[in-house]
Amino acid sequence: MLQIQGINVHYGRRQRLFDVTLPVLEDGDILGLLGPNAAGKSTLMKALSGTHAYQGNILYKGKAQGQYGPSAWAKDVAYMPQSPPQESALLPFELLWSAARALKLALTDAELRALIESLLNRLGLAEVALAPMHSLSGGKRQLVGLALALIRNPRLLLLDEPTSALDLHWRMVVLDWVRERIDHQGGIAIAALHDLDLAARYCNKLALLDRGRLVAAGPTEAVLTADVLARVFNVDVHVEKGILGHPLVQVLRPQLAPKSSLTALTSPSCSIK
Amino acid sequence: MTLALQYRRLVLRRTVLFAALVLALIVSLLLDLAAGPANLDLAHIIAGLWQPESMELRYRIILFDVRLPDALIALAVGAALGLAGIETQTVLNNPLASPFTLGVSSFAALGASIAIVFAPSFPWLDDTFLLPLCALSFALASGLVVLFFSQAMGGSRENVVLFGIALFFLGEALTAAMQYIGSAEAVQDIVFWNIGNLTKAGWPEVAIVTTCFLVILPFSLRHVWVLTLLRAGEAHAGSLGLNLNRVRFWVILRVSILAAFAVCFVGVIGFVGLIGPHVARLLLGEDHRLLVPGSALCAALILSLASVLSKTLLPGVIIPVGILTALIGVPLFILLIINQKRTH
Repeated sequence: MLQIQGINVHYGRRQRLFDVTLPVLEDGDILGLLGPNAAGKSTLMKALSGTHAYQGNILYKGKAQGQYGPSAWAKDVAYMPQSPPQESALLPFELLWSAARALKLALTDAELRALIESLLNRLGLAEVALAPMHSLSGGKRQLVGLALALIRNPRLLLLDEPTSALDLHWRMVVLDWVRERIDHQGGIAIAALHDLDLAARYCNKLALLDRGRLVAAGPTEAVLTADVLARVFNVDVHVEKGILGHPLVQVLRPQLAPKSSLTALTSPSCSIK
Repeated sequence: MTLALQYRRLVLRRTVLFAALVLALIVSLLLDLAAGPANLDLAHIIAGLWQPESMELRYRIILFDVRLPDALIALAVGAALGLAGIETQTVLNNPLASPFTLGVSSFAALGASIAIVFAPSFPWLDDTFLLPLCALSFALASGLVVLFFSQAMGGSRENVVLFGIALFFLGEALTAAMQYIGSAEAVQDIVFWNIGNLTKAGWPEVAIVTTCFLVILPFSLRHVWVLTLLRAGEAHAGSLGLNLNRVRFWVILRVSILAAFAVCFVGVIGFVGLIGPHVARLLLGEDHRLLVPGSALCAALILSLASVLSKTLLPGVIIPVGILTALIGVPLFILLIINQKRTH
């Protein structure tokens, strides 16, 4: 169980998150974190991952994040940053190897080799496993970043725009895999996404942020409404039920009028707590 | 062939290359020992190293009191600068960084200038150690100042580079001031010290620099996994729960000590700490298990070869090795940049 309550984050003197409380997440939940640019999605991800200071409570399995210690937290909680691993002469295979050894995973060399091989095969990276990172496309590097997050077999996955550099096929493959993993092995995933249809398809809960504040949170169908989306994204949308059973968002046109103030958005049709 | 097997072969290939570098270093050391005006060929040198008493006394003195310390200090200084170089480049995520990015070299020069210009005398200190001690103290101080201020400002790599550059220019300006107030002889000595010269060293200097390198190397090797991870970028390395500020603190401390000890006896020898890691990266890849010792090895090899050249290019003249490392280093560096552009 993961509880995220009253999170405030500052960058210097500037406050970026204001008292953000998300729905309680249980085993099997995938929460989609949505919002326009600079909404605070990545900032919240960094706070959850323990890589940025915050005020508030993050309770995982009944224990505060601070009680785990950075290395114990990182062994159970995988955070995939927004940007893919940088270009260098490093090989994906040796990156994963180093990560496993830095995390002090209790695996023999043979076990680790087998684990890395299966992970790279699953993500379609076997052919480039021994190619320098600078020769890989942005999409492939993003998949390497995902493999890096998954090397520790985490129970809590924090994915910051995991599909932003991927083509349609690999977006589906990656999120299918996340869904399958959560369904079969348990655990919780939080994914910051820009694609509303992917969020509707793969997430059973959504949280919508705007300018550092939580606008709406709850079950997917309750959050993805034309009214809420229009106010947050400043676009006219039509939401209907798709043939796969989840909401389908059709963007009609950008709104010409300036964005309405957040005070008008504090009582959406869904529950915040 | 499975992926795991391919990776094992790659590691084996790199290990063989590493061994070849060790061999090249031994050959270079022997060539360095054989280079010089006295009529001592390679066979004599090897026989003398094996059985010193078999050599004539004058040759024994030349080999053991002159050439061996010069050749070994080249290896020790090169290794120290190479190790400091790879750690600096990785932790600052900057291929243009070198140990001297922290202002160590310019402050070492300032310390040496002060010793030369003012030549203070202390009853408890042998005069021959005054200059290296001053250079060492100032070099260490600059590293520690960078470390202190950058940590106080949050410990980011940008802060380390900015404080390092600021100190570099401060050291240059103050050294220029020392030259301005110094006598003509003092200015000559300062310029000569700044060029970098291996012939100033004896056995105590070899022992000090080697000990410094050997003490610090195991601490560097303890960080090889983290250093390798840093090549994926700070965001990804940090996502594994690693305290990167703490890693940066220890690396900068190690680099300051290594660079300060490396330059305090022989002067500022440029480019070795920059080029050594690049050559090692080209040959051994980014896995820091091999790259960290490999950088030390490559830099030691480069400085040793430069030492051989410095004694053989002009018969009867020993060119200060700092001139040669810059002359060789600049085109080599341009070649590396062109090569990197091509591979990218």
